[in-house]
Amino acid sequence: MPNSVDFISLVQSKFGDKVQIQKGVNGEASFVANNGLHHDILKAMIDADEKTGITSITGLDFGENLGIYYHIHTAKSFFTIKAEVPRANPKIKTLTDIHTGATFHELEVTDLMGVVFEGNELNGHFVLPENWPDGVYPLRKDINLSSVKLVPTPEREANKAAEGRQVKIIIGPQHPALLEPEKFSVTVDGETVTRVEPRIGYVHRGIEKTTELRTYLQDIYLVERVCGICNPAHAYGFVGVVEKILKPAVPERARYLRVIAMELNRLHSHLLTLGHAGLEIGYETVFQYFWRDREPIMDLIELTSGNRVYGSLITIGGVRRDITSEQIPKIKSVLADLRGKLPFYRKIYLEEPTLRLRMKDVGTLSRTDALKLSVVGPVARGSGVDMDVRKDLPYEAYNDIPFKEIVYDDGDVWARMNVRMDEVEESINIIEYAIDHLPAGPIKVEVARSVPVGEAVCSLEAPRGELFYYVKSNGTDMPERVKIRTPTFANIPSFLQTAIGESIADVPSNFVSLDPCFSCTDR
Amino acid sequence: MAEKKKSKSRISPIFKRTVSHLFTKPATTKYPFVKPTLPAESRGKLVYEIKACNAIDFGCGEDFRVDIKAMRGSSCHVCVRDCPAKAIEIVEVEGKMRPQIDLNKCVFCYQCVESCPRDAIKQSDLYELATTDKGSLVMKPEYKKRASQ
Repeated sequence: MPNSVDFISLVQSKFGDKVQIQKGVNGEASFVANNGLHHDILKAMIDADEKTGITSITGLDFGENLGIYYHIHTAKSFFTIKAEVPRANPKIKTLTDIHTGATFHELEVTDLMGVVFEGNELNGHFVLPENWPDGVYPLRKDINLSSVKLVPTPEREANKAAEGRQVKIIIGPQHPALLEPEKFSVTVDGETVTRVEPRIGYVHRGIEKTTELRTYLQDIYLVERVCGICNPAHAYGFVGVVEKILKPAVPERARYLRVIAMELNRLHSHLLTLGHAGLEIGYETVFQYFWRDREPIMDLIELTSGNRVYGSLITIGGVRRDITSEQIPKIKSVLADLRGKLPFYRKIYLEEPTLRLRMKDVGTLSRTDALKLSVVGPVARGSGVDMDVRKDLPYEAYNDIPFKEIVYDDGDVWARMNVRMDEVEESINIIEYAIDHLPAGPIKVEVARSVPVGEAVCSLEAPRGELFYYVKSNGTDMPERVKIRTPTFANIPSFLQTAIGESIADVPSNFVSLDPCFSCTDR
Repeated sequence: MAEKKKSKSRISPIFKRTVSHLFTKPATTKYPFVKPTLPAESRGKLVYEIKACNAIDFGCGEDFRVDIKAMRGSSCHVCVRDCPAKAIEIVEVEGKMRPQIDLNKCVFCYQCVESCPRDAIKQSDLYELATTDKGSLVMKPEYKKRASQ
């Protein structure tokens, strides 16, 4: 890999005084770029590094102006482009012409903050319910949510039938193949998919808004509930940002214990998906086997945290529970047991004809498209993009722990599932290494309840891909703004693209390969 | 379509394993009859000890940061303040203000157990809380009658 580009001097030399550079804010630096310069900066950054992409867009309410923060990831660093638009006329140029992956992020900001992205306008609602009144933007500070009056559901474009000989099939919001509610209107010509229109937001719970009404301590438990499966990742995402503002001296042992918690979580999440893929394509034996072997991992989570699902281990300043020396043999034996079972599962995924026929060459996403759409996690790594936050921007103890980054070049469903299969083994290695090298010492430091004024970002590798948190604090014990970008939100656009031209029967297997989590997506 | 000859054997590798499972013990447990043993310190139903909860009468513990003088005469509220589910409210018991935990709302995060300066809320691994009467899950604080000893 070529050496990472020095983006700060690149922007400085190209834009000079027009762009104000704030070093160390929200990643490596923040670029304050108004009057359409955000577009040029991103273009320059993409030209310099092909892995540059948009992680998230945060809309903020500054009173007179509305802020739009573009969180940009590059191969080895993280930047934020800050733009502001007047509240009276909140219009800004879209970035979708240079980076397709921006589409969803822009629509979300339009829906929740009311910023219009010229060239990527929203018709109807994106995450808010259909009966939410137009022109009411819940994330603005002057909105009194209790006084919002819902309107009768209007007839929108998505509900109308397709034209000509094409047929529109509505998958969801209640559908046996989707365990969570989300709607995909699939237009088919014969059996071939010609168009997919998503409608997300059926499980939008307004968590970003709710965090503003609770203290930081309460918010940890709240953001954990964004997603039941990857809850330690969410807890760490939030805690990680708050710790970047508070700067407590987190003990070394806590850093290792956090890694163990997050890797146990990755193990159970990947086993869940590998099994769930079997269920979606009608191979229930695989499903039953994987879920049977996932259960001992759940027991380990219960052993170390006190609860099967919501471990609630990670807190600001450290972790809440220690791993005792009596627990270690049990953890090791379960992990060794799982490792012994892996060759058989790998054999199934490699040789089993049913799985091969349903997965090989289905939903192929090329490397260029993966970069253009800014997909994350196993979806990106299945398409040959070596992006893993644990390697690129190591957090907690990942810097000290050796592990392999799994990359497959095929880009199809099969590759994405095999990335997960190999990561199961890597996770076992990481946990074993972490347990063997667990430093002694305290597990937690006391921290203040109020967080000083500041802002920070944190991105981490959740089981489904890069999870991103942005927190702006205002000096009180409650945050001013919390932005959560979940991995599935970034991955759904790839499904909309890869499904086209394939059979409608391949939709479930293609879709499950993203490891979709709609509770995450909608928040 | 033309690639059907890929696998050497026509029997799926999973077939042998599946047949062998006919002769092994099931992986499932017979739950209501055989109860699982939970690991120590599992987060089950909360236990509230009203006698320990005396922040109101004697001030708070020394690691409690809030101004103790200002707290005297009122309930300490730490559990109420920290509860993420807003499941705790303060009710009056025999003239004293004491927390009432609503297990219908409780998310079993145990933050109250951790926050309580007097260790008045304790852990138990009782997990069978299913009931047809929601009201029974509201833990009303009350002093035990001396006669019932």
